[in-house]
Amino acid sequence: MPAFPYLFYNSFFRINIVTIAMMILTGLIVLIVLRLAQRNLDVRKPRGLQNLIEWAIDFTANMARDTMPSERMVQWILPLAFTMVIFLFVANWLGIIATISIRLDHPIPWLGLTASSLALAHGEVPLFDSPTANMSMTLGMAVMVWILSHAQGLRHPRQYFRHYRNPMAIIEEITNPLTHGMRLYGNIFAGEALIGVILTIPLLFGWVPISIPLLLIWLLYSGFVSTIQAYVFTILMTLYVGHKSYGDQTDHA
Amino acid sequence: MFEFGTFIVSIVTFLILFWIIKTYGFAPLARMLEQRRVLIEGQISEAEQSRLQAEQYLNEQHHLLDEARKQAKDIVDAARSRADEQAREILIAAEEEAGRLLESNRQLIERERVEAMNQVMSTVSSLTVDLSEKLLHLHADQATHTEMMQEADKMLGDLAC
Repeated sequence: MPAFPYLFYNSFFRINIVTIAMMILTGLIVLIVLRLAQRNLDVRKPRGLQNLIEWAIDFTANMARDTMPSERMVQWILPLAFTMVIFLFVANWLGIIATISIRLDHPIPWLGLTASSLALAHGEVPLFDSPTANMSMTLGMAVMVWILSHAQGLRHPRQYFRHYRNPMAIIEEITNPLTHGMRLYGNIFAGEALIGVILTIPLLFGWVPISIPLLLIWLLYSGFVSTIQAYVFTILMTLYVGHKSYGDQTDHA
Repeated sequence: MFEFGTFIVSIVTFLILFWIIKTYGFAPLARMLEQRRVLIEGQISEAEQSRLQAEQYLNEQHHLLDEARKQAKDIVDAARSRADEQAREILIAAEEEAGRLLESNRQLIERERVEAMNQVMSTVSSLTVDLSEKLLHLHADQATHTEMMQEADKMLGDLAC
């Protein structure tokens, strides 16, 4: 178990610095890519990166159209869905491209790197990691979506509360955000954890690197999973919000 | 190992990042896409309109062409019938003229003949009278005179006819 640096380690409000920093880095990368795509914005002849981003927007819009009740809601959710899918895509891939850890032998108590936690992690302190490989962060995203969907549902209280005459629906409201967040966390964390394990496989007979093909295969699979999970998280988000958009049920596209 | 601080701060961080990305990353692209949508819509409706107009023009031209063809045919027909009529009129006029000429010639001939006849008659009469006088000088009795006059009359009558 690697020892992450924390703020307010000894309090209830414990903040993982690496996760938040990686989120900000992810946001910066997304913003820079989007700004690069807009460098030569052309209505008539899109080229290069602009094409790619347009395709991504189109893809997200189609995804939202499949799950949202009306075109108005699609346009409403589109900025969030697009940001979410591209943000998670970059965030998931960051951990595959590189995970950087340092070996720390001297504990830094005010960052939460106490002697015991360092001993448990054999002094390994990650500095560069997927933000989505952190359970609290993915659950945060999921709960944010959950709050958004319920806020959307409460705009039509009659239909919203009628839905809960069946008590099983309440269980669903608890399990949905849990699975929503844990699914993303589990996939990304597992991918990174297994990469770490594969890297520690010793050489066979002292010179045959049997870990290389395994690592390649697992990296490819992790890349696939990272992409898919960004898609799954976003489509579930549009699904949950769309499911509670009662006002526009009539013109289902 | 759920960390409440990370949970809350990641939501806040994401919301801030979302706002920044939406404002500076997504909005210009969305505006451009909207512009393109409007542009394409406008061009499609424009193309439709010009297609309709072209169709209308084509119909109009077909109509005009038909009309022109009909008019040309009418003009040719009218010209032909007028030419026919004229030819007939000319023919009739020529015939009338010819008839008139013939008639006047005939009258002239008749008149000349009558004149000539009159002249001949007067000449013959005078000759007859001369001859009669000359003969009467020789021997003339009433009977012979009458007979000769009758004979001369008869012969003149034959001539006159």
